[in-house]
Amino acid sequence: MLTQFKFPLRALVLGAALSTVCGAALAAGSDGDKLAEMQRKLDQSIQMIEALSARVRELEAHQAPAKQAGAAPATPAGVERLDSVEQRVQQMEAANANRHADDSSLPIHGFADVGAGNYNPLNKELKGANVGNLDFYLAPKLGDRTLSLFELNFEVSPDGTVGVDLERAQVGYQFNDQATLWVGRFHTPFGYINTALHHGGWISTSLRRPKFVQFEDHGGILPIHTVGAWLTGAVRSGDGKVLYDLYAGNGQEIIGGVLDMRNAGNSHGNPMVGGRLGYRFGGKLDGLTLGLHGFVDKVADDFEPTDYTRVKMVGAYAVYDTDQWEHIAEFYAFNDEDLSGGTGSHRSEAGFVQLGYRASWGIPYLRYERASLQQSDAYFAALTSLNSGASYYRNALGLRFELDAKTALKFELANTHTTDRAPDQYNEAQVQYAIRF
Amino acid sequence: MRSASELSRRTTSVRRRLSALVTLLALAAAAGSASAGDLFVICNPGVTLQAGDVKDVFLGDKAFAGAVKLSPADNAAAQATFLEKVLKLDAGKYSGIWTKKSFRDGANPPPVKGTDAEMVAYVKQTPGACGYVGSTPAAGVTVIAKF
Repeated sequence: MLTQFKFPLRALVLGAALSTVCGAALAAGSDGDKLAEMQRKLDQSIQMIEALSARVRELEAHQAPAKQAGAAPATPAGVERLDSVEQRVQQMEAANANRHADDSSLPIHGFADVGAGNYNPLNKELKGANVGNLDFYLAPKLGDRTLSLFELNFEVSPDGTVGVDLERAQVGYQFNDQATLWVGRFHTPFGYINTALHHGGWISTSLRRPKFVQFEDHGGILPIHTVGAWLTGAVRSGDGKVLYDLYAGNGQEIIGGVLDMRNAGNSHGNPMVGGRLGYRFGGKLDGLTLGLHGFVDKVADDFEPTDYTRVKMVGAYAVYDTDQWEHIAEFYAFNDEDLSGGTGSHRSEAGFVQLGYRASWGIPYLRYERASLQQSDAYFAALTSLNSGASYYRNALGLRFELDAKTALKFELANTHTTDRAPDQYNEAQVQYAIRF
Repeated sequence: MRSASELSRRTTSVRRRLSALVTLLALAAAAGSASAGDLFVICNPGVTLQAGDVKDVFLGDKAFAGAVKLSPADNAAAQATFLEKVLKLDAGKYSGIWTKKSFRDGANPPPVKGTDAEMVAYVKQTPGACGYVGSTPAAGVTVIAKF
């Protein structure tokens, strides 16, 4: 571009200088002084022309490399830089194809819930608003066949104190689809809801679990958690699958009126063993699961002298879970043997039926639950926290709304009758706001 | 020494690939975009699987094909079609199922790829990998089913 202006610029400067000189000469005539003045101005013009010419050459010299760049071979530095960029692009493409395939990140998921009611949902001695759980779980992938699951729960206990529980700490090995072995602390596989619908209000349709299946420190009567080993799997059979669970762990102890799973081992060394066997139907009965369950557990309490009870439970469960229905029923029969007091065997039973309908606008549900527990049984007699070992029945009517895919709003009305120890009855109205993340 | 025209060509190529990459990433982020037409379920050539197993694989109920550990992946570009045609679920319910599955069994939901090209590359290079694409897949993968 500068080249295009080179000659016009020189001509312009030269023309301007000549016109100045000529103009001056015409005006000066033959006068000597004026001639000298003209000579001086001509010298100045020539100097100006030379200076401008020099500047033009200087600019042309600077422009030359840029002009020649299009035709000259690339420099080694430029080639290296382009190689580097190409390599980076390839790496980005490969990394994008493998996105999420690596195991370097560990997503944290969880549940949380808050609520309010005329009574605390776990403790009828308290009323008003309540904070439920903040439950985190991690499932780090350790290898193709190695599984792990850790669940940390910040929960408000029925007396209002905040505690932290390592609800689950289990490491497993997946042999195949038919067998996975877990070791650690896990949800004891009985019934349906204890493994399918555990901590985390959002995960359950209902606002709360049946009272007798509540967690150990929330008024439950069952060993909700076990510390030991658990073999589980599913074997295809016909249209459906046979589901099985076998487990063994530390025998439980009752401490301070609460059943404890003995995270660090128990004092008497006896194990708890149990199993669950079910069949999940396929085809026209898809969604239906029927099963049996049971365990044997030697349980000690913290009385002086210590009572030992062999708790033997057998039962059954049924689930019908489809796009339209969610029905759950569980039954537990106890035949507990007094090992230290000589009172013999004691039979008790507990169960619930919950019926739910998945409408487009929400899920209404009904539940009836009942526990008929022998108070002469040292096991139930020792479960004093929140009056958990008392017999009772409860009718509940609830409604769940899905505010979005991760948020549920639940309401429940319930009527509870305690039928032994200190007979009582009370009505409840509860609301819960539950989320997952 | 390479010529300027070659450098110019390569620069243009790099720019185009970067642009495509950015587009792919944007598409991956915008999960749920559907593509009409056929859907192909593909697996790594080392995987032997029946069409009837596809639902179990993507819902986490089947983790092995023989001795091979399966690694299913979702494809954001075709996920809506896949959920509708194969799993008969919407995205919210699919996500909820995996939340429960992960919470109960310690299983992790399938990773998400952004495009058919990414999916094919992943399935080709990952033993046990399975996925789905909305266009006829290139060689190097096994087509398990066409929907």
